[in-house]
Amino acid sequence: MPHEPFCVRFAPVLLRTTPFHARTAALSEGQAWRRWAGYVVASAYELSHDREYHAIRSAAALFDVSPLYKYMITGRDAARLLDRVVTRDVGKAKVGQVLYTPWCDAAGKQLDDGTISVLAEHTYRMTSADPNLRWLHRNATGLDVAIDEVSERTAALSLQGPTSRAILQVAAQRDLAGLKYFHLTEATIRGIPVTISRTGYTGDLGYEVWVHAAQALPLWDALIETGTPYGLTPAGMLALDVARIEAGLLLIEVDYFSSRHALIEAQKSSPFELGLGWTVALGKESFNGKPALVQEKARAPAWQFTGLAVDWESLERLYADVGLPPRLPTQAWRTSVPVYSGGRQVGYATSGGWSPLLKQYIALAHLEGTFGTPGSAVEMEITVEHHRRRAAARVTKLPFFNPDRKRT
Amino acid sequence: MNAAGRWDAIVIGADVNGLVAAHYLARAGRRVLVVDSRKAAEQRADVGWVPPQVIRELSLASHGIQIEQPDPWIVAPLAGGGRLELWRDVAKSAQSIRRISPADGARWPEFCTRMRRLAGVLEALYVQPAPDIESREIGELLRLGALGLHVRRLGKQTVIDLLRILPMSIAELLDDWFENDTLKGVLGAAGVWHLRQGPRAGGTAFNFLHHHVGSPAGVFRPPRSSITQILTAMPGVEMRWGAEGAVVAAAGTATGVRSGSEALSAPLVVSSADPRTTFEPLRPQLDAEFVHAVGNIKSRSIVARGTVNLERPADFKTLCLAPSLDHLERAHDDAKYGRTSERPYVEAVATDGHLDLHVQYAVTIDQALVERVASALGVPAGQVRLEPQAGHLYHGELTLDQILFMRPVPGWSRYRTPIHGLYLCGPGTHPGGGIAGAAGRNAARVILRESKRS
Amino acid sequence: MAVLYDAIVIGGGHNGLVTAAYLARAGKKVVVLEKRPRVGGAAVTEEIFPGFKFTMFSYVVSLLRPEIIRDLDLPRHGLHILPLESTVTPMENGDYLAAWGDHDETRRELYRHSPRDAEAYDEYGRLMHHMAHAVRPILGMVPPDPTSFDPRDLLALLRLGRHFRSLGAERLHALVKLMTMSSADFLDEWFETDVLKATKSASGIIGTFLGPRSPGTAYVLLHHYMGELDGVFRAWGFAKGGTGAVSEAIASAARGFGAEIRCDAPVARVLVKGGRATGVALENGDEVSAKVVVSGLDPRRTFLQLLEERELPAEFVSDIRRFKFRGSSGKVNLALDALPSFTCMPGVGRHHRGAISISPSLAYVERAYDDAKYGEFSRRPYMDIVFPSMIDPGMAPPGKHVMSVFVQYAPYHLNGGWNDAKREAFGDAVVNTIESFAPGLKSHILHRQVITPADIERITGLSEGNIFQGELALHQLFFLRPAAGWAKFRTPVRAYYQCGAGTHPGGGIMGASGRLAALAILGDGA
Repeated sequence: MPHEPFCVRFAPVLLRTTPFHARTAALSEGQAWRRWAGYVVASAYELSHDREYHAIRSAAALFDVSPLYKYMITGRDAARLLDRVVTRDVGKAKVGQVLYTPWCDAAGKQLDDGTISVLAEHTYRMTSADPNLRWLHRNATGLDVAIDEVSERTAALSLQGPTSRAILQVAAQRDLAGLKYFHLTEATIRGIPVTISRTGYTGDLGYEVWVHAAQALPLWDALIETGTPYGLTPAGMLALDVARIEAGLLLIEVDYFSSRHALIEAQKSSPFELGLGWTVALGKESFNGKPALVQEKARAPAWQFTGLAVDWESLERLYADVGLPPRLPTQAWRTSVPVYSGGRQVGYATSGGWSPLLKQYIALAHLEGTFGTPGSAVEMEITVEHHRRRAAARVTKLPFFNPDRKRT
Repeated sequence: MNAAGRWDAIVIGADVNGLVAAHYLARAGRRVLVVDSRKAAEQRADVGWVPPQVIRELSLASHGIQIEQPDPWIVAPLAGGGRLELWRDVAKSAQSIRRISPADGARWPEFCTRMRRLAGVLEALYVQPAPDIESREIGELLRLGALGLHVRRLGKQTVIDLLRILPMSIAELLDDWFENDTLKGVLGAAGVWHLRQGPRAGGTAFNFLHHHVGSPAGVFRPPRSSITQILTAMPGVEMRWGAEGAVVAAAGTATGVRSGSEALSAPLVVSSADPRTTFEPLRPQLDAEFVHAVGNIKSRSIVARGTVNLERPADFKTLCLAPSLDHLERAHDDAKYGRTSERPYVEAVATDGHLDLHVQYAVTIDQALVERVASALGVPAGQVRLEPQAGHLYHGELTLDQILFMRPVPGWSRYRTPIHGLYLCGPGTHPGGGIAGAAGRNAARVILRESKRS
Repeated sequence: MAVLYDAIVIGGGHNGLVTAAYLARAGKKVVVLEKRPRVGGAAVTEEIFPGFKFTMFSYVVSLLRPEIIRDLDLPRHGLHILPLESTVTPMENGDYLAAWGDHDETRRELYRHSPRDAEAYDEYGRLMHHMAHAVRPILGMVPPDPTSFDPRDLLALLRLGRHFRSLGAERLHALVKLMTMSSADFLDEWFETDVLKATKSASGIIGTFLGPRSPGTAYVLLHHYMGELDGVFRAWGFAKGGTGAVSEAIASAARGFGAEIRCDAPVARVLVKGGRATGVALENGDEVSAKVVVSGLDPRRTFLQLLEERELPAEFVSDIRRFKFRGSSGKVNLALDALPSFTCMPGVGRHHRGAISISPSLAYVERAYDDAKYGEFSRRPYMDIVFPSMIDPGMAPPGKHVMSVFVQYAPYHLNGGWNDAKREAFGDAVVNTIESFAPGLKSHILHRQVITPADIERITGLSEGNIFQGELALHQLFFLRPAAGWAKFRTPVRAYYQCGAGTHPGGGIMGASGRLAALAILGDGA
């Protein structure tokens, strides 16, 4: 059945706008937008993303994350469905808990990753980067479960940074010190019912706020009004990208490809190869990909997903050779960059950039076998004045940045 | 309550394939139980070729198996009056045909020879599991090579025929050879048996050849036999009638069968039931893609079976009411849009003082259809009784994408299933319906070979 | 006066022109003999009414081989393929289904019909992409003969076998399904939206005498994705100037390499001496000699018309006689003084720059087929409509338009045969059907040209008006095209070759047959 009367559709416009668009569009100084799941979202509001990034680490940043795909899974077999699909043990999760989890195909290769919020008994909200409605339905045959896509109906904001808790406590008029990391609670902000989850994509103290799309704008206004005195800054995807690399968090289609999209076998990855072995509950009775993952666990890992920290002196020398000071990428890059050891390519970095907080050139990389052991010395390719050079780098355990406030 | 391990194998379904599989396993020393939900065996002849290997290896001849050899094997009314009779002797049929079309009569012998050769290739394919084209095992590759050589040795014409004719429509094939509508209708009907397709659809030439398997040259209807009756009476396996059988499995391994509230345990379960029914209770343990593939099996039931009570004995063995290919095509057109054929194709076989009916295309079986059938046969409607729809007789249409290594679902064509210890052996597997016992034998041999290895 | 050419190409259709160009490029002295006043065959653009250029028969370029575009440097000879990116299907309830160029947009459009189909569409597209990639090598290869023991054939067969096995189980199974199923059944496994399935399966029936529920129509679904593989070459689009411009570009390339092209030069027969072709005789009696003769005409004309039957083996003659042509397509070209307004998308919009598909449901298309099965043209036909003037303004005077309507079904073997009255009735059925989706169309028609299969045959010579020079059915493809044992562009007559779409890989404006034939001729040391 069509969702809206079709006569309204005839004005073939192109991309969707999120429920916050009226506010975010007004703030855009440089008209820098990008696509996310068929929506337009801001790359940055100001002409540079610099201040927006720093707000994440020094005060608080506000991101519009509405384009996430969201599904409500309800019914007697809701947990059974989710346990069949994802690698983590959903059955063991308690109401109020949020799980981060990947999920795999029958061969144990990762399809996607997202979160599962346990809203109530038999009631879950699942988020994902790619659409998964069909996959969920496919796995639900024979189960007593309802799957409802709520992507358009549910808007979401991400509020991240050291003052985020203080802002939300004022906005929601309650104490949130008891809300533990990766847990959620229902609340009201100026009379608007919301779900607040202590989750995020920055590896910092932060929360995500989930609201019905119809009340998106009032929520935005409430948070901006409450938060501005605390330094709350609307921020775009460029700022978020730097923070997530510091947090060592992977991004689909950049750091790995869904096995669904893979054209060849080599483009597929298992959770173990992506540093997500901790999410794989092999003790669960059965789930998609389990037999393959059991076998893989028994072998030495073929690939490891780790951090790289580029050695400053080495970098400086490369630029000095051509008479220039080092030029660092302030915007994170998302291309594939070769990584070498002993003259041979042993892997590739998929995300990287300069961390203004850590004052380091960092990257997320895939390295073969033992080359991914933290502390190993490798070289990362850098193009200096049109020539491909190699800078020394050290394999670093992820995350690069892990402040206590994230969890306490 | 059963003692654990009372049986080595439980077979679900006392149809010909279930019974053949059961007896093969019994012959190899297994204790076999056969369960069937019906109250008793049907008193109906089996339609389909019984492979000579099955007859020989189960000593069916000494048990008195009867295979009918009707002559003429079919009669069809002609448009201008009179009947066309086709005989087991090719020359005699040629003469019979010449009376309605000299050109067709002249071509008949060669047509028969060519079709027989192709059916022979199918027969060779049917008495073994489907070729596994993805295998890297030497044994399998050698088998494939031997098959290729066997075909090549039949001559260049046969190879070309095989490649050309298998994907063709029966209408095109027959239009290439013959001109007479009645003759083409009689032959074309075999091309659409149990298919929701008309004679102009690709793949119906294959279906036509499938139903020629096991018959001599010039006979284009499968033989009828008493094999199920014989097997039902043969000792060697325990039979339990009126017992449903739902497969029970734990952690991906079969543990037995549930019948009502009773749990019957055995490490090996062989099901000759429809794959969909077989896997229904096992869905939570099966991979989503497999379940989806099983759900996609095309098994659109459009055949109505039934009987006609006769006041006097029939003056034919088999009567075919399909006056032309267009008649069949139009009958199918109705089914395409979800309606029972306005003018159905009806075939009647005289047996035991009544007629066995095969009617296509029946979307709903109701009084209207009874009347259409009665009108076609020229008997009072009260004498016609049609059975309610019971699902697709072949458990899956014999379309080109649902045969050989694609049957019942791609990748699972050798009777094994994702559930360890559960095997399929019914018409839903290779070589399909209408071949009496080949699937059962193939499955049993696969099971015995695999258990020898383990 | 007695010039001896290296090669004569009979027929100036696009394949014949490609053959001539490749031969000339290799230094051969080539002459193309075309019966009409212009080259192109069924790929022609003609100014039927002053100021209005009709891309008379074919209207989109599909799958023109990138290697041909590169080898003959066609862009330099005027080839310019423009994007044809959207397909809109008006529905009978006033709604529509649109497929746009942008992936996100299309997804959103599908989503409003069915959220699940929107996701399935992505997966389906990926699978078809893999399938197209798997099948592609076959398009460019000479079919090996499976009945021969020649080591070259056996090796080719082995390589083919290995290629398919390397696909892996999942893709191999998908390929078998694609080759054997009906497009409707295949799509039923993926989608639930009827109008989506109808529009996609309509591409499966083009040029065939089959309906969407007929087995064997699924593999044509691949064609569009094969075009996508060569995406940057834009093998799927509208040629500026119509498909006639494609023919003219190839002709220009051929002339550039030194080939001679003669129009108004219909060939009557091929001259054969001692089992070997020595040249041709024109209808006016003139004779032209050559070392090699190549026919770009369809197999029926190539063998049964241009040759005496005694020159050919009896078995071969009956195979060619059995080769099915049954034309099923017609064409209606309209000159308009304004664009029609569709009920589902009133006014002038982006949809006028793409294709409009009249395929509102599977039952609709299947019923159109039913009419043809029994010898009538479809009362409410399937149609593929484009407005060439919206893509290339030079096709019509400013502010006015041309509308190209490809129609199925119009059976060649119409009950009672085609005549002027039937042609007009057919044209009326077409226009009336479009009018039901776009009221007011009739009031904008300045001129109307209706082309039936009989007309296609009469004008272009394509037997029974079959646009692919023979049906693209499994039993007439690959090593069976046009006959078993004669699928390698050679014929039973020495020095006589075939290069038209009646050979592998078949129809569409690919040029592949022309190129492969030329390579075969050169390989034979002509």
